[in-house]
Amino acid sequence: MRIYFPLLIVFIFFIACNHKEEKKDTRIIKIPTIDSSAMVKPERTVNPYVPVDVSPMDISYYPADYPKLKMTNSAIKPPYARVVYSRPHLQGRSLFKDVLKYGEPWRLGANEATELDLYTDATIQGKKIKAGRYILYCIPEKDNWVISLNSNIDSWGLHPDESKDIARFVVPSKQTKNSVEFFTMVFEKTNDAVELVMAWDNVEARLSFIF
Amino acid sequence: MKKNFAILIVFQLFFFSLLAQPGNLPPVDKSPMDMSYYPANYPVLKIQDKITEPLAARVVYSRPQKAGRTVFGELVKYGEVWRVGANEATEIEFFKPVRIGGKKINKGRYTLYAIVNEGSWSIILNKDTDTWGSFKYDTKKDIVRTAASVQKNDTVVESLAMAFEKTSSGCNLIIAWDNVKASLPITF
Repeated sequence: MRIYFPLLIVFIFFIACNHKEEKKDTRIIKIPTIDSSAMVKPERTVNPYVPVDVSPMDISYYPADYPKLKMTNSAIKPPYARVVYSRPHLQGRSLFKDVLKYGEPWRLGANEATELDLYTDATIQGKKIKAGRYILYCIPEKDNWVISLNSNIDSWGLHPDESKDIARFVVPSKQTKNSVEFFTMVFEKTNDAVELVMAWDNVEARLSFIF
Repeated sequence: MKKNFAILIVFQLFFFSLLAQPGNLPPVDKSPMDMSYYPANYPVLKIQDKITEPLAARVVYSRPQKAGRTVFGELVKYGEVWRVGANEATEIEFFKPVRIGGKKINKGRYTLYAIVNEGSWSIILNKDTDTWGSFKYDTKKDIVRTAASVQKNDTVVESLAMAFEKTSSGCNLIIAWDNVKASLPITF
């Protein structure tokens, strides 16, 4: 029996994968509840030198996929920005029920503090921000998030030192149709700005940059 | 039986991670990224006010897994430039000037490559940063090329690991994967 249950789940989701997405929203949203039993700490986290993080680190550039673009176009201009962050996953939890609390600072990631590297000066909500390295954290509220740009770089994400804040920006947060299992940060170009998208579970916030 | 069960779990995780990233959001990398600092655990020490020596170096790299393969000589071909990681090129940053292979290295960001042979590795620091893999590796942008000492381990390391170890004159960058461990002396 133990063996058939996971097999059945794989089968169901394999079928779900092959169908058009728009009809399957309800199924997609249900995934995390089943996910919880399977998401144990993987065996491969064990390592005699450095354990492998349960919340893997990742990097997002603007322009998106800059390192790949550079591979095909060596004359490309330098990038504008990147974020280096870790990606916690829901593992069956509900974001604002089990993981985060409204009004309490959150490191926008896991482990090391989330780093924003600006390769060029930028303007955020009318405020000029100089090129350089910063860390980011947020204070989520129900309808908006406070995004804080802080100078305490190369630090661990817990207990951000608010005395080192450089600027704070309030951005609206919105509900999304689909749930995102792994916290995700990515830069997206809009008509007149570049938005840093921060998405997890069914919540999304965006911080606009003008380069 | 147990093994089958484990394989199925892996498949489940795979499908979940595919499904869990709707729209154009990036999927989770198979070879997760990681970073190591010198002094080791610097970010944790920093928020605990336990820093005893200044920040010197950091490496940001992705961690491929052995996954049953023979790594050196097969997956990583002898004599070819290897990106010492996966996905984005491995980045090493110095926060103060250091010396590697007898050469002074200014503070800043560099891309790290290696040329692996049995029993000897060449480590390359290159100034072309923010790039992908070693596909566009250009020797003209090399900053230094030097030998690392190599030893065979009894234990097998599943995921590529990089860490800095303190020495009397600075630190060693340790690169360990499968049954091989290389160390690159960095002095400062």
